[in-house]
Amino acid sequence: MSQRHLNPAIMAGLLFALPVANLQAAGRQTGSERQPAKSGEQRTSSDFAPTVYDGWGRAVSRPASDRKSVPAPVRDISGTWEPAGGPLDGVQFNGSKNYQEDGKSDREPPYTEPGRKLWQDNKPSIGSRGVVPADSNDPVLICDPQGFPREDLFQLRTTQIVQTPLKVLILYEFDQIWRVIWTDGRELPKDPEPRWFGYSVGKWVDDYTFVVETTGLDERSWIDNVGRPHSDALRVEERFHRVDRDHLEWSVTVDDPKMYKEPWVALDKLRLYLQPANYDVREMICSPSEQRQYDSLIGNPQSEDK
Amino acid sequence: MLKRIPARRLSATVSFIFMALVPIASLWPRNSQRVSQNDSNAVTSSAAAVDYDGWGRPIPALANQKAAPAPKHDISGIWDPANGPDDGGQFLGAKTFPVDGKPGHEPPFTKAGMEAYLRTKPSNGARMVPPGETNDPEAYCDPQGFPREDLFQFRTTQIVQAPSKVLILYEYDRIWRTIWTDGRELPKDPEPRWFGYSVGKWIDDYTFLVESNGMDERTWIDHAGRPHTGELRVEERFHRVDHDHLELSVLIDDPQMYTKPWLAMDKFPMRLLPDNIDVREMICSPSYLREYNSVIGDPVSEPAAKKER
Repeated sequence: MSQRHLNPAIMAGLLFALPVANLQAAGRQTGSERQPAKSGEQRTSSDFAPTVYDGWGRAVSRPASDRKSVPAPVRDISGTWEPAGGPLDGVQFNGSKNYQEDGKSDREPPYTEPGRKLWQDNKPSIGSRGVVPADSNDPVLICDPQGFPREDLFQLRTTQIVQTPLKVLILYEFDQIWRVIWTDGRELPKDPEPRWFGYSVGKWVDDYTFVVETTGLDERSWIDNVGRPHSDALRVEERFHRVDRDHLEWSVTVDDPKMYKEPWVALDKLRLYLQPANYDVREMICSPSEQRQYDSLIGNPQSEDK
Repeated sequence: MLKRIPARRLSATVSFIFMALVPIASLWPRNSQRVSQNDSNAVTSSAAAVDYDGWGRPIPALANQKAAPAPKHDISGIWDPANGPDDGGQFLGAKTFPVDGKPGHEPPFTKAGMEAYLRTKPSNGARMVPPGETNDPEAYCDPQGFPREDLFQFRTTQIVQAPSKVLILYEYDRIWRTIWTDGRELPKDPEPRWFGYSVGKWIDDYTFLVESNGMDERTWIDHAGRPHTGELRVEERFHRVDHDHLELSVLIDDPQMYTKPWLAMDKFPMRLLPDNIDVREMICSPSYLREYNSVIGDPVSEPAAKKER
């Protein structure tokens, strides 16, 4: 296997001397994310880089901050959407954006007793309770599917939304996963077999707000990157609010009476802006073989042979 | 009371049981949504079993209907393999070149291609090894990549057409793929991606032609371990036969590995499903795989293989 996929990644990670959090994210990206620039083409994006490149190696200009607001189209959230606060604004390393475990605020969701117990049993690889990958039980570290709602609450990046007569499709960057939200009036299934990404139905509550309900979520997934748990009673509500032509706000509410005393808003109006239609989304797919290499070379201490 | 069984017969028996298990067992590590059979009233009068979609609703059987004309420049819709939901499984390798021991089923390897091929240890077909000994990257949930996404576990596939691109949404691993139709050219020296880079155009009213390059070398072309290099180019042809039928052909072109291009899929027939069909979820899960290996994979494999993994 070609070594060129890995060594530049290690060098890049060490040179940047980012906190462990960012190194772990780099370890999950494909080789195409981490390679150094070739004749001015694709570079890894970070908060330091002035220019962002799309998957085709084309430079993407950020919209002018004083751009005039254009009215929102009616009942339309389609397009290629980018987190407005920067490419990493939706990554949420330390947990759901509204409830981060970063040692500063450590705002806690309203756990029940069983919820708190399960949360403590989960050992994330990041945040104030983080452990090394070998000691973590985070399913995403071994490339299990993120599932839902974690797909919204960790590594949320350039997201495509496609509207067709009967459904809305969401195409995520992370793991290149697509998800269906049925708008044909069907109800959520009563006692569904759990799926990683559950079952979703959606409807317009006004001309600019699309509300989605999701159930049937596989219990093995974590809600976010720091191990907030959920049971089979979980229901998730998303709200997509089209602010104007170029902006969308995305909110996620978690409702699981077994794990949490009351619903809590995990993502509160995350702002996204509209990319041009010819923007090619970068590829970012979890690869167990790459993850194993990363863990053995960087993630885990050398003394421990797991 | 166990009789003493001759060693030769015992190993044959074990091999037989094993070979029967593996094609089924190789499905295990995928966390696939089991079809729910709740609604027995939905069983039709025909002999064929009813297939259910992801929402637990029956998928209508292919009716003998008069062919309606094909729409122009349109391959959108939800497409199922026309000859049954498993027709695109391709466990023995690419549809037109299955590794079944029959003549004429070997692609035109170069010397380097044959050497690379022999290094692969697939988990199905005439060259199969026990599950715990395979070096198939997909068996450990590495991304299938392209063109394998067409050539293994090719199932219910959604095609969405937008002004500047065509999106293909696959069932297996819930992967989406973009084919740009805005006139851009393929990148000249791209960084490899698992699913490469694709551009497409209509060459007549009913045929959509797609070219892809920049595929990561780590993937296998198919489940039988056909290899490729970074020079691989793949051409797909989507031909809208009539309103309800689509044919997919996949041409493999890699001069380092093959002496000439070969058709991995030749007019693979697909039929149109209603728009309200919910595609079942089928995603590779390493934790599932661990369970599977501990129960089935490792006990029938060489102990050394587990350490190598």
